[in-house]
Amino acid sequence: MPATDYQASFLGRISIRRNQVIAMDGNHEQELQDLELFSKHVSERFAELLSSPDDVPFDALLSISWLRKLLDFFLCCEAEFKGILMTGNDPSQISKPPLDRLIPEFLDRSVKALDVCNAVTNGLESVRHYQKLAEIIVSALEQKPIGDGQSRRAKKALTSLMSAMNADDKECSAAKATERSWSFSRRGVSSKDRVPEHFRSVSNQVAKNWSAAKQIQAMTNNLVQPRGAEGSGLASPVYTMSVIMVFVTWALVAAIPCQERNGLSAIHFPAPKQLNWAQSIIGLHEKIGEEWKKKEKKGTAGLLDEMQKMEKLGNILMDFTDSFQFHGDITDQKAEEAAAHAAELAETCRRMEEGLLPLQMQIREVFHRIVKTRTELLNALDQVGKSSPPLL
Amino acid sequence: MELPENLNKDSNGYESAEKIILRWDSTASEDARERMIFETDRQEADLYLQAVDEIQRSLSNVSISTSSNAGKNANAVDDHSKVNTTIQIAMARLEDEFRNILITHSSALETDSLFDPSSSSISTPSHHELEEDDTLSNDDSSHHDLLQLQLQHCESSDSSTYRSTSSIREVDLMPSEAICDLQAIAMRMISSGYLRECIQVYGSVRKSAIDSSFRKLGIEKLSIGDVQRLEWEALESKIRRWIRAAKVCVRILFASEKKLCEQIFECVGTDIDDACFMETVKGPAIQLFNFAEAISISRRSPEKLFKILDLHDALMDLLPDIEAVFDSKSSDSIRVQAAEILSRLAEAARGILSEFESAVLREPSRVPVPGGTIHPLTRYVMNYISLISDYKQTLIELIMSKPSTGSRYSGDQTTPDMEFAELEGKTPLALHLIWIIVVLQFNLDGKSKHYRDASLAHLFIMNNVHYIVQKVKGSPELREMIGDDYLRKLTGKFRQAATSYQRATWVSVLYCLRDEGLHVSGSFSSGVSKSALRERFKTFNAMFEEVHRTQATWLIPDTQLREELRISISEKLIPAYRSFLGRFRSHIESGRHPENYIKYSVEDLETAVLDFFEGYPVSQHLRKRSQ
Repeated sequence: MPATDYQASFLGRISIRRNQVIAMDGNHEQELQDLELFSKHVSERFAELLSSPDDVPFDALLSISWLRKLLDFFLCCEAEFKGILMTGNDPSQISKPPLDRLIPEFLDRSVKALDVCNAVTNGLESVRHYQKLAEIIVSALEQKPIGDGQSRRAKKALTSLMSAMNADDKECSAAKATERSWSFSRRGVSSKDRVPEHFRSVSNQVAKNWSAAKQIQAMTNNLVQPRGAEGSGLASPVYTMSVIMVFVTWALVAAIPCQERNGLSAIHFPAPKQLNWAQSIIGLHEKIGEEWKKKEKKGTAGLLDEMQKMEKLGNILMDFTDSFQFHGDITDQKAEEAAAHAAELAETCRRMEEGLLPLQMQIREVFHRIVKTRTELLNALDQVGKSSPPLL
Repeated sequence: MELPENLNKDSNGYESAEKIILRWDSTASEDARERMIFETDRQEADLYLQAVDEIQRSLSNVSISTSSNAGKNANAVDDHSKVNTTIQIAMARLEDEFRNILITHSSALETDSLFDPSSSSISTPSHHELEEDDTLSNDDSSHHDLLQLQLQHCESSDSSTYRSTSSIREVDLMPSEAICDLQAIAMRMISSGYLRECIQVYGSVRKSAIDSSFRKLGIEKLSIGDVQRLEWEALESKIRRWIRAAKVCVRILFASEKKLCEQIFECVGTDIDDACFMETVKGPAIQLFNFAEAISISRRSPEKLFKILDLHDALMDLLPDIEAVFDSKSSDSIRVQAAEILSRLAEAARGILSEFESAVLREPSRVPVPGGTIHPLTRYVMNYISLISDYKQTLIELIMSKPSTGSRYSGDQTTPDMEFAELEGKTPLALHLIWIIVVLQFNLDGKSKHYRDASLAHLFIMNNVHYIVQKVKGSPELREMIGDDYLRKLTGKFRQAATSYQRATWVSVLYCLRDEGLHVSGSFSSGVSKSALRERFKTFNAMFEEVHRTQATWLIPDTQLREELRISISEKLIPAYRSFLGRFRSHIESGRHPENYIKYSVEDLETAVLDFFEGYPVSQHLRKRSQ
């Protein structure tokens, strides 16, 4: 930002607050500078995410590597935010308006974000499961020439994969699986109740009534841009960080199968379009939201790019194995095409193999960071003594 | 179609094997769908397995022949394809058989295996204890009284009840015959390259078995948000249940699953049984630890300390077993999470202690306790630190830094300071406990200033500091940590307060009974001013009545202390009155209405003193024995 602009806005703020005594010492200037820098960095980082070229598959929107970048940026923003919040400030500020209301709300959002982290981690286990199934398909179709045996094997795994992806999308509830993972239908199965469970890809670690969409919706409660005098001081960065938190959790939930995502696209994004630093985030939100709406009708397990690819390839290969089964012989051309698709699938699996574990670890890192900031804020609140005396 | 030469020898074997495989092709025949091979009979199963082996042998033969007989390709390729198909059919079947055997033998862990019948303390009663404890905890939750901390503490020392889960103990999750079958099937699947399918099936079935066990153990799926919202009392019983369940999970459930994997995949190498094990338990393990994690990050407040310490201790105890069970690379994250939770719990404990100290310092209630008796704060704090001393073993390890005290030189009036020089050689924990007592007194001193009557203020301090001393003496651990030096200081303080009280109240009363001012100098006759004397008596009576009326409602809860103070009062009052009466009664009695002035006998006063500090109001008129 050119020096003159900076000065103008700085002076502008002073004129608004003419009636208030402003500490014109270096501390205050430093604080304003930090805030400006923070907004700037946020803006830059998310612009980078928005401009990720779609044609470079590696970094495509909502691919594993894109998500990792997103989380990386979150951690950077969080660190800056923490710096602003904790250093050089009169700690009693936290207990005065508007922070006395904003901080507890922020803390509440943090807890919800933590639960989303856990749910997403659980969801990544599903993704791992798909990867494993896809690897079966790949290893079956890898063999040349593709024979009937391999085709059947691939088909079996494809069936499991597609129904797993389908079932998981139905909010991880007890699956009304349309396909069976048994190779035949069984009559008189003694333990009828237990059969459905085996269709579910991963045991669900999330509480029954927990809904990802509702959590994120709740996170947007009371999230409004601070106005006027409120906008100076710490209220602004708290708002900024909250918006980032909402976006990141929202994007994660959109990408990765998570319990109960109905209404995800209906969540109104809590940042007005005029907000400078929020432009890219809003852009991303719109882009992802559109994708979500498109797929919502078809029903998918999540927008994770690798999963999308897996689904697409799965369908193609399913057709292939079907035609193999029913038509007997396959032209060389078709066989080659199938092999190419299988190779693509193998590549997708490889990317999952490489990226899922680091992604999980990053989410864990995000978890830790949010916990740490929350703990420190809670301690600060307790120090100031605003919390009611616990003893009597 | 002729088969290549080297297959001729086995052609009969191959053909009959192929027949068996095809007969059991479930996609082709109704009959094949109806029955399971491994449920039918031993012979069928063995035949089938042999058939699979035969086909597998053929496959490798065909591969060799295919590559070496490039010329006679067409047939070879066809046969290769045919054998492959047969393999696939066999593998699909084996997968189903594998799944079926697993399902048949996968149910929740039996409660019998949860409790060691050889354990000295319990056999089946243990099952009742499990439920009993739950009802007990329900009762606890109805106690809101802070003083019930003591009661709750008794509940928390239940580590002795579950000796049976004190170390790893694997149980047999399946009959050995089933395991043999599974082994046999697994071997064939893996050698045909169907390892992935094998792991998938295994994982999915065993996972649901673990889920059932979890439900049986009462392991809930609570979100972090849920945990933050619940009342702490409700959480306490959940923590208790979790501790019990976690021991069973790690030491019995997970350990047994691991053993099962090792057994089934014995012949095929550790990586595979690791993979299966993790496939099965990773999710459940994370779910288990998520609860402890949620507790470890919950908002800190003093009443949470002891359950957090219980949780910390339980996890600490479990850690070596967690490391033993989850010893592979792929289970790093679980070990790491457990260690993280442990460290957070420790941090939480430290934080709570600090928080407690601040809270005691800041406790703002201003309404003076009626009668100058023991303040609820004093009781709470002393009970609390008695409990802390019970947890000495853990806390000594956890508390590593000294309390942050005020500085003598800071001029800060809102925080006391503590002289560390005299407290050399004390553990940080002991320093914290002493600091808490220092802070408590500081707060009490502040509170005493709200009494309008200075005597009552002193009495209040006396009562409370005495209580502190009694509590310290009553707990050997606490006493050992506080140390006799500081104890002496405290004793001195309450004695000092007693003395101050006496001075505040009785100096002026006894002043009435002094000699000076009564003798009229130079007078020839009696030398005593009758009017002055009458005044004295009247003043004395009025003052004493007032003191008696007021201080009867004051309370010294400790019987011995009460007695001692009364005796001390008597020792000064009675002789003084007696001698005053002795010297001057004749002067009054020689005048008019002596009864207006000499209202009380010595015995009357002695009796009246017995009313002091009982905490009851007495009738306005003192009992008058003599008239």
